[in-house]
Amino acid sequence: MNVIELKNLTKTYGKARGITNISFNVEEGEIFGFIGPNGAGKSTTIRTMLSLIYPTSGSAMIFGKDSVKYGPEIKKEIGYLPSEVFYYDNMKVKELLKYSASFYKKDCSKRITQLAEMLDLDLNKRIDDLSFGNKKKVGIVQGLLHEPKLIILDEPTSGLDPLMQQKFFELLKEENKKGTTILFSSHILSEVQKLCDRVAIIKEGELVNVEKISTLKENNHKRFKLESQTQVPHDYFKIKGVQNLEVNNHITSFLYSGNINMILQKLAQLELYNLWIEEPDLEEIFMHYYEKEN
Amino acid sequence: MNLFFREIKAARRSLILWSIGICFMVVSGMAKYEGLSGTGQSLQQMISEMPKSLQAIMGTGTLDLSTAVGFYAILFTYLQLMAAIHAMMLGANIIAKEERDQTAEFLMAKPISRSQIITAKLSAALANVVIFNLVTLILSITMVSKFSKDGESLTDIYLLMAGMFMLQLIFLAAGSSIAAAGNKPKRAASVGTGILLISYILSLAIDLNENIKLLQYITPFKYFEAKRVVAGGVLDPVFVGLSAIIIIILITLTYVSFRKRDLSV
Repeated sequence: MNVIELKNLTKTYGKARGITNISFNVEEGEIFGFIGPNGAGKSTTIRTMLSLIYPTSGSAMIFGKDSVKYGPEIKKEIGYLPSEVFYYDNMKVKELLKYSASFYKKDCSKRITQLAEMLDLDLNKRIDDLSFGNKKKVGIVQGLLHEPKLIILDEPTSGLDPLMQQKFFELLKEENKKGTTILFSSHILSEVQKLCDRVAIIKEGELVNVEKISTLKENNHKRFKLESQTQVPHDYFKIKGVQNLEVNNHITSFLYSGNINMILQKLAQLELYNLWIEEPDLEEIFMHYYEKEN
Repeated sequence: MNLFFREIKAARRSLILWSIGICFMVVSGMAKYEGLSGTGQSLQQMISEMPKSLQAIMGTGTLDLSTAVGFYAILFTYLQLMAAIHAMMLGANIIAKEERDQTAEFLMAKPISRSQIITAKLSAALANVVIFNLVTLILSITMVSKFSKDGESLTDIYLLMAGMFMLQLIFLAAGSSIAAAGNKPKRAASVGTGILLISYILSLAIDLNENIKLLQYITPFKYFEAKRVVAGGVLDPVFVGLSAIIIIILITLTYVSFRKRDLSV
């Protein structure tokens, strides 16, 4: 069964870019990644699904029901964490969570305590006084306290420290084991890779591809940048898997995908001052996508 | 109901401050009557000799200032203005604040329809307006009866308050429709207050210039003004009807436009 079904979902705002003909399905029990650079239309898509804004054309079906027509009904089973969390400043964390729970016809107090404990969140503080990361935690608890069947997360990890991210991911995996479907939007490929089964890639308001994570992993690119004592000869890195090679005096940079030991052996033979190995940014990954398609 | 109580709680402090404001107005205003009532007829005479424009601004007209109720009626003009500003700002802010404070994403992800949101918010605003009116009524009755001579009827005060209630409802609905229809939540309250002040100034202008008397239908401040109510002894049914129509139109506009538009987040 499809929990989310987007059919040619289009939203245009005056001049600003919206989204065009977005179509994909998310199956029940899936952790589905939704990835794209900032401003690609991820939040617009999600806000349309939640009928905060209405589609210009096309439709979003959630639990098989039209998201505009049956909005309040389907939202009973949705937990949503917005990308930027803003809450009623003069409330305490506990008050906000109680208020949030009061919209659902079930007792969530146990769950609130449990989640707060897990995320190390102080319930008696004023929301105003919380740091960005702690506000995000309030958002997480708020989104999960009614044990929804579908969790929608818009850039959920920003502001969380790595340890907390880890706990949060474990929490999501646990929910997923219980059968919860998760839509996880992010601009960081690595975190999507860690968690998701499939991803939809969006760029400039259009869907680029829907891929299995396993396929993406085969194209696990790393960006290498190194500063060497002498200029590296142009053909030194002419091995399989090296792309976009640039040699600029003592600085050399390239993208690499393939067996990591191979490249490390190559690097070991150089006299280096400095070395950076990074996740390539999405633009580069997308470039790769376009190349492959052509 | 949770949203209703949330809004009642959120508006509590502002309501208390406004109530203190009215209390100050009524008590200090009627205290002046005590000082002036000693001068008796001469006050009435002095005012009637003042230029008409000054009388208009003070809102005296045909009122008999030697009686406590007559004096109160002048004070009422300002109470009415306060009540209107309160209602307008309340109506505008209660709708606009979710978008202004960016809590709309929180609220809209909950299983609640936009119509339900408006209903809960307008009910909470209505409760506030009723309390505002009752506080004014109780204070007014207490203070006026303290200074009134025996046999002076207080019915006019009840009538004035009924008129003020209609005015409050008009401006409440105006505020909410401005916030619901516009997509600039930060500006809703200021736009509303601007419109309110224009219509207040217009009501003064009508007093100054007989030629524009027809405009009295477009400024609610003329509908239940003190001199009209006190002189007539009833609320003019034409204006009651007109108010009802305006309120219904504005409330419908609030629902329809809030349901239709994209929320700004």
